Amino acid sequence: MTEMTTVEEILERKSHSVIRDAEVAPTHDIREALYELEAKGEIIVQRVPENHVEVTTKYGRTKKIPIDHTWHHKSCGQCGHIPGYTSSIFWLHRQFGLDYIDPTDQTSCTGWNYYASATSNAAAQAAVMSRNFAAAYETGYFPMIHCGTSYGHYKEIREQLVHRKELRDEVRRILDKLGKPLVIPEEIVHYSEWVHVMRKKFAERQTVSFAPITATVHPACHYYKIVAEDAIYDPEIYGGQRTATVTATLEALGINVADYSTWFDCCGFGFRHILVQRDFTRSFSTLRKIEVMKNEVNPDLTVTHDTGCVTTLDKSQFSAKAHDRNVGIPVLSDAQVAALAMGAHPFRVVQFHWHSTDWRPFLDKLGIDWKKYWDEFQGDLDAIRAGTKSGITWEDADKPVIYG
Amino acid sequence: MTKKILVIGGGPAGLEAARSAAELGGEVILLEKRERLGGTPDREGYAKLTHHWRDASEAMAELAAAVTSNKNVEVKYQAEVKEISGSAGAFNVKIEAGGKAESFDAGAVIVATGFQHFDPGRATQYYNYYSFPDVITLTDLEKMLKEHKVVRPSNGEAPKKIAFIQCVGSRDRQIGNEYCSKVCCGIASKQAIEIREQLPDSKVMIFYIDMRMYGYWEPEIYWKAQEQHKVNYVKGVISEVLKKGDQLLIRGEDTTMSRPMEVLMDMVVLSVGMEPSAGTRAVAQLAGVEQNKYGFINAGGASGLDPSATSKAGVFVAGAASGPSDLDDSIAQAGLAAARAVASLRN
Repeated sequence: MTEMTTVEEILERKSHSVIRDAEVAPTHDIREALYELEAKGEIIVQRVPENHVEVTTKYGRTKKIPIDHTWHHKSCGQCGHIPGYTSSIFWLHRQFGLDYIDPTDQTSCTGWNYYASATSNAAAQAAVMSRNFAAAYETGYFPMIHCGTSYGHYKEIREQLVHRKELRDEVRRILDKLGKPLVIPEEIVHYSEWVHVMRKKFAERQTVSFAPITATVHPACHYYKIVAEDAIYDPEIYGGQRTATVTATLEALGINVADYSTWFDCCGFGFRHILVQRDFTRSFSTLRKIEVMKNEVNPDLTVTHDTGCVTTLDKSQFSAKAHDRNVGIPVLSDAQVAALAMGAHPFRVVQFHWHSTDWRPFLDKLGIDWKKYWDEFQGDLDAIRAGTKSGITWEDADKPVIYG
Repeated sequence: MTKKILVIGGGPAGLEAARSAAELGGEVILLEKRERLGGTPDREGYAKLTHHWRDASEAMAELAAAVTSNKNVEVKYQAEVKEISGSAGAFNVKIEAGGKAESFDAGAVIVATGFQHFDPGRATQYYNYYSFPDVITLTDLEKMLKEHKVVRPSNGEAPKKIAFIQCVGSRDRQIGNEYCSKVCCGIASKQAIEIREQLPDSKVMIFYIDMRMYGYWEPEIYWKAQEQHKVNYVKGVISEVLKKGDQLLIRGEDTTMSRPMEVLMDMVVLSVGMEPSAGTRAVAQLAGVEQNKYGFINAGGASGLDPSATSKAGVFVAGAASGPSDLDDSIAQAGLAAARAVASLRN
């Protein structure tokens, strides 16, 4: 066998996927601490339902992702700014007949203001999380968190609760007043992890080809940078070097995922920036992310998996457009893309009309006659206006459409 | 003295421990996982040693020869420890050497299982080691320097502008390695000098948090690099490495000037730090000695003043198995471990 040169050795090493060994993970496995606290009677650990899929996380550990029997912790920003995100997640569940609860007693996690240094304190933050988890536990359903902010925030709070007895005592005192137990789920699960484990099932029911589509991916900071060891990694995706969520889903749906150099940058939301320095957010989002994607790969679409990222990447583009910058990439969540692939109505379910960057060329490229569906949606609105319909219901939206 | 001393690891610390113990009259069994001695400097193809500028192969060969020529040392190659039982003065050790299971008694154990270089892919990929061919590590560069062929992996051409980024995998709370790896500043500076000697037309910059030039490295390497070899040191934090055309754009903050900076480079060298080797983690478990939260073996003993003592009587540690260490300190610690091991059996 010919001996490799040093350069060949370097290139060969870089060509390998990273297989990580949980035995040498640089962080502790928080679940062990949870079980210890449970054994001492300090907390209740809510177990992941039996119907789950195991995935590998950043340092080679296994994480259980529930398939059904889930309690949906929704996102303030999704419901308020891009409701097609939330309705797509539910629509996907309904297509497979999966058992879930859309609770009406869930509160905001208040994480956004926390990250913007605007409100609250550790006990209040932890009590809000614990109240929501207790509400899920009382139903017997397992929490699935739609929002990246809540997901990251709750994981940080879980660390604090595990490591600080005084905080646990304070939170327990608050929960006692509410008559609720102190519950921490065995896993904190983001909806995009559910999308990830369901991706092949979505592909099996795909009715529109995404072959002509090139997309970029923006991985959400709160998903993979905060308490990084919880994020899904797969040697088959980016050689195990980046989180596999979103990208694996798009690839399963036949989308060509194109890379760009600033993939790891924040979308620009930045929590504090969006609240107190919004010009910075708009500039960062468009000049560091969208324009870089546009210049380097000119995608048809960019896809992400968090509320702040979809809104910021999408709704910042109008300002850069006013300055004739090279922008104009529609932005969707992975759930919306999967729903669209399976025939979700573009307006009743995916709700493109809440997205500000022009999405019409994207639907045109897919061969979806969006004008026809817009007319249907307009008909719904006319009926609501006329008082013959109270609102759009799942009866209107459940059935997949065969795009034409 | 009939009881044997087991030395685990045939790198610099293990070799020195074996040699010293044998010279003090001990009977030594040295276990080496590979087919040859010399440890990481040999396996990774080190060029010159910091700070005496000796050829690494030559120096390791001398250390190895001192052991293999000593009749009091029995070297077992391709050997791995499977079990260590018993206590000080009466350990029983089960190993597998060359595919065969063996068992023997030992009075004392010296663990010299060393470190491994930080894998830049382990943490977030800000520096894009696995994405860009021209982002390499100190160890990659060391091999190139040894061969006198420093080239950009992307095109085989000699780089004109080279940047070192310090503290990759060290002093980083985000990835759990809060400690300084001690040697990277010296090695980067040594390599910068070697690059300038081999590629006189090149420009070399070192981006650092602060340069930690212990002892004589300051006059021998740091000032020499700047004054004689015109290496440019920039105090700043590099946030990312991007591709721009066929070059690499490094972005960061120049903390002296308090301003953001962008510099185009042909090649970027990541000064990767030290982590405990897989062998260190495994042997620590088998020997039942305490490890710190990073996985290195806790050294210092009850007094805190014995760098060769572990938490278990009769088990000693030498070299980078107990934490980041340069060669000088590893050798010194190995000599001490040997003396303590021999003394423990005499007592």
